[in-house]
Amino acid sequence: MGVTILLSYPVPENKTGPQTAELLIKRIGALGAVQSGQFLVDCETFSSGPTMGGPPRTVHVLHNSEQPAAVFALLESPGPPPKTVPLVADGLFDLLMLKMSSIYASKKQTRMEARGTRFEIADFLVKIGTVTMSSNFKGVLVEVEYRPCFIAGNCWELMREFMQSFLGSVVQNTPPPYFQVHNRLNDVYQPLDTIQQYLDHFASYRKVAGL
Amino acid sequence: MAMAQQTVNTAIDSLTAALKSNIIPNQEYFLQGSILDSSVEVLLHRLRGLCDNVDTNLETFHDHEMCFSIRGPNNTQPLQLRVRRSLDHNGMPMQLRYIGQPEIGDKSRPTVLRNSIDIGTSNTVVEFLTELGCRKDFEYSAKGYMFRKGRMKITVFKVFKIDETRKMMSSGGFDALSPLTHSYLVELSVLAPSGQDAIADDMRCFAEQLRPLVQLEKIDYKRLVHGP
Repeated sequence: MGVTILLSYPVPENKTGPQTAELLIKRIGALGAVQSGQFLVDCETFSSGPTMGGPPRTVHVLHNSEQPAAVFALLESPGPPPKTVPLVADGLFDLLMLKMSSIYASKKQTRMEARGTRFEIADFLVKIGTVTMSSNFKGVLVEVEYRPCFIAGNCWELMREFMQSFLGSVVQNTPPPYFQVHNRLNDVYQPLDTIQQYLDHFASYRKVAGL
Repeated sequence: MAMAQQTVNTAIDSLTAALKSNIIPNQEYFLQGSILDSSVEVLLHRLRGLCDNVDTNLETFHDHEMCFSIRGPNNTQPLQLRVRRSLDHNGMPMQLRYIGQPEIGDKSRPTVLRNSIDIGTSNTVVEFLTELGCRKDFEYSAKGYMFRKGRMKITVFKVFKIDETRKMMSSGGFDALSPLTHSYLVELSVLAPSGQDAIADDMRCFAEQLRPLVQLEKIDYKRLVHGP
């Protein structure tokens, strides 16, 4: 998988979420993008019950239609020190979480989904999706993947230029916060990085009251 | 541009559909037995004659298995999970396994049946389980041979204790293991979706061909734990 950047596109005052997504689709279409299917990234959150003792631990289980055979789990442990442990597992991991439902309960109402259309344009893969939480609209997320490269530092300028051509000044001139942590600009990019970006965006959408 | 209206199913929907159509292999049929070190060569020779995967050399394995458990609410039976990794092939995924209570059944049932969920995972699984709240109960190393016949898997392996004092060394203590017994454990198993009981009869027929070298039978652990 190539370097992928996930961006939240702010919905203008006079437009709805779906209208904003349509606008972006028109713009990318004008650049010559070809539609190639739909995509879905979803996130279900499980919390440990009181019997576990101590502050509750949270497990976020995510799926990405781009990696249909994988399940991504991110465990937030309060520690000390607080840390997030990632796990990539195959599809049956969901069955195991079901088996553990008495220990880690799912908060169904916080389930989030980013759903939309995939577009291919030259070496890029662009996904324009609307984020919903229990059918309530939360925002518009744009995912841009530059397939030939898997080191973010080597293609950030190219990606910025491409993204600014259809997203405008929403795209900052510095790499997004996710890539400024540790040595991420020089690490090999993995599907788990895309999932972590989705989780960061979903977390900030959860904090915002319904639109 | 025309929007194609095909929607992507959620992973949970696909899993539910797979469960309903009974295509997930989550039941394990198995038989166990043991053979003394002094006779294992004869058994291996007989298995070479009977099994499929023996064109070149015998397929060996050297695994490290750790058993974890996590307490449920209200002091219910703790959930047991096993993590297995290969010591021979470092890059391979680790295996997380949930094994349910075994059903011994009566004389009409040829094999033990138990629920088994096998999940391939990245190598962060031990840290993940520990932070989840699991406690490591015990661990051991298994070294032996693996045979296949159709859907059946036959393993002949020795169980080794891991020397805690040598764990800090770079080898992890796996270079100087002490065997638990003077025998090899022999297991015959098939992983299949539920309701395929005919496979159990095939397993019993195969087990007959290994007698009297090794008696593969249903072992009831509850009897072993509580003693005579």
